[in-house]
Amino acid sequence: MPLSKKRIGIVCPYGWDTPGGVQSHVSDLAEYLIRQGHFVSVLAPAIHDENLPDYVTSAGRPIAIPYNGAVARVLFGPIAFARVRQWISQGSFDVLHLHEPAIPSISLLACWAAEGPMVGTFHAAAKRQKVTFAVAPFLEPVIEKLTARIAVSEAARETLTEHLETDAIVVPNGIYASKYRNGVVDPKWAGNTLGFIGRFEEPRKGLSVLIAALPQIIVEIPDIKIFVAGPGESSEMLKEMQPSLRSRFFFLGRISEEEKANFLTSVGLYIAPNTGGESFGIILAEALAAGASVVASDIPAFDSLLGHGQYGTLFNSEDPDDLASKVIALFKDESTRQEIAERGKEYAQSFDWDVVADKIYDVYEMAMVGGSGVTLSSENRAWNKLLGRQS
Amino acid sequence: MKFVVVLFIIALAAWYLSYSATRLDRLHHRVETSWANLDGLLQRRAAIAIEIARSEISDPASAMLLTFAAHQAREASVRDRSQAETGLSGALGILLEASNEISGEIEKDLIRELQELTEKIKMAVAIHVDAVNRTQLVRKKIINRIFRLAGTAPEPVTYEFEGDVL
Repeated sequence: MPLSKKRIGIVCPYGWDTPGGVQSHVSDLAEYLIRQGHFVSVLAPAIHDENLPDYVTSAGRPIAIPYNGAVARVLFGPIAFARVRQWISQGSFDVLHLHEPAIPSISLLACWAAEGPMVGTFHAAAKRQKVTFAVAPFLEPVIEKLTARIAVSEAARETLTEHLETDAIVVPNGIYASKYRNGVVDPKWAGNTLGFIGRFEEPRKGLSVLIAALPQIIVEIPDIKIFVAGPGESSEMLKEMQPSLRSRFFFLGRISEEEKANFLTSVGLYIAPNTGGESFGIILAEALAAGASVVASDIPAFDSLLGHGQYGTLFNSEDPDDLASKVIALFKDESTRQEIAERGKEYAQSFDWDVVADKIYDVYEMAMVGGSGVTLSSENRAWNKLLGRQS
Repeated sequence: MKFVVVLFIIALAAWYLSYSATRLDRLHHRVETSWANLDGLLQRRAAIAIEIARSEISDPASAMLLTFAAHQAREASVRDRSQAETGLSGALGILLEASNEISGEIEKDLIRELQELTEKIKMAVAIHVDAVNRTQLVRKKIINRIFRLAGTAPEPVTYEFEGDVL
C-alpha cells in the first residue's frame, strides 16, 4: 500500500465507551492504518479518560440527546470546540477523516474549524424530514469544505443526495473476514436451526416478526430451534410468547467474538428480520463471510448488501407469512441453500478490511493532492482576533 | 441610536460578503485541485494505453486506433477533453473485452494496472464533478453575482466521463 507514512486525524462523533457501529468502524480503521505504519490520532468523546487506547484523545464527556429517533451520545459547545481546535493545531495532520459530519457533534465542529484535505464518511440512512430544509443552509457551507465524501452504502448515499444535494463515493464498512471464514461448525447449533444476533428487545430488530412466523414454520419443520444471541432480558420476551413456542427458543446472551464466528457458521439459516433503521447491516456481511445462508427483510440497506437477493434471500419486511414460506422453501431445498451460502461467502471477502481500508486510503490520497496539510480555518482566525483569542 | 443600527447592519453585511468570498474561493480551489488530480490520472491512463498499443495484446488496427485516441486525449483542450477521454475509454473497452484470454506476465500487469487506475479515475471523477456542481450552484446565488464575488475565476466546466471501461 502506501510508500510514504502520513499523519491521519480521525474524528468519531459518538462516545467511545458506548458500543456502536460507527465506533467499531473507527477503531478497526485506525488500528489497520497504524499497522500499515501511519500515524493515526482519533478524537472522540469519552465518559472515562482512563482505559482509552493510546491513539484516542478524549474531547470530553458526551451528552445524551435525542436525535433522529434514537438517543445519540455526542458532544458540542465552546469547550469542545476549543479542544477540537487544539487537537487540529497540535496534530499537524496530512488529512482529516470526519465521521458523520452532518449531525451536531465534534465532527461538524472539526469540519468548521479546519482547512485543507478533509474526507467525510456518512453512515446514517434516514428518510427525508422537514427539519432538513431548515438546517441545510447552515450545514451546506460547512459540509462543502470536505474534499471527498464517502457513504457506507447506497442507502446512505441516497440520504446524502436528498438532504444535502451532494454525491458520495460508496465504500462499504469493513469486517475482518478471515476471523469468520475459519468458523467451525458446532453441533449444538447446527441442523434445522435459525440464528439471530442483536439487541432483541429493540422493536426495530424485528424478532417479533420471526416469532409471528414460527407457528407456520413448525408445521413443516417440526424440530426447528431458534438461537438468539445478544444482550437483553429474555424472560419478558418468553412470557409474551405462546407456551407452545417457548421450548423452541434458546437465549444465549452476549457471546464472544470467537463464538460468534462459530455460531454463524453453524446455524441452518441466519435470520435478519429488521424493520428499519439500518444503514449498512454489518452483521449480514459477517454472517455471509462465515458461510451462513441468510434470510433478511428487504429494507434498502439489506437489499443492496445482499445484491438484491443474489447473496441471500429477501422477504417482504414485516410480513411473517412471507418469512415463513422463504424459510420453509430453503430448508426443503438443501442444494439452493448451499449454493447461495457459497456465493455469499465469496462475495463477503470484498468487505474485508484489506480491501476496504485500501479504498479509503485511495480517497485520502485524492484528498491530499493539494498537499498543504490541515490547518485551522482562516475565517475563524478573524473571529478570534475580534474576541482577543490567540490562534 | 439609528446610527448604531446602520453601522451594525453594514458590519454584518461586510462580514457576510467576506464570508461568501472565502467560501467561493475555497470551492474554486477544490475544483482546481480535484481537476489536477484527475488530469494526472488521465495522463497516466493515456500512457498505459500507448504501452498497451505497443504490446503484444493489440493487433495493428487496434494499436493504431488506441495510439490515435491516446494522443488525442493528451492534447485535447479542457472543453474537448471529456469527449476525447470517452473516445479512449471506448477504444480500450473494445480491446479489453477479451482481456481474460490475455497471457504473458507483462501484458497481465498492464491490464491490472489499467484496472486499478480505472477504479481511481472513477473516484476522482466523482470528487471533481461534485466540486464543480457545488461551485456552479454557489456562483449562481444572486448576492454572489451582484457583488462579483467569484472575481476572475473561470466558470468550472462540467466533465462527463464514461466510467464503465472494463
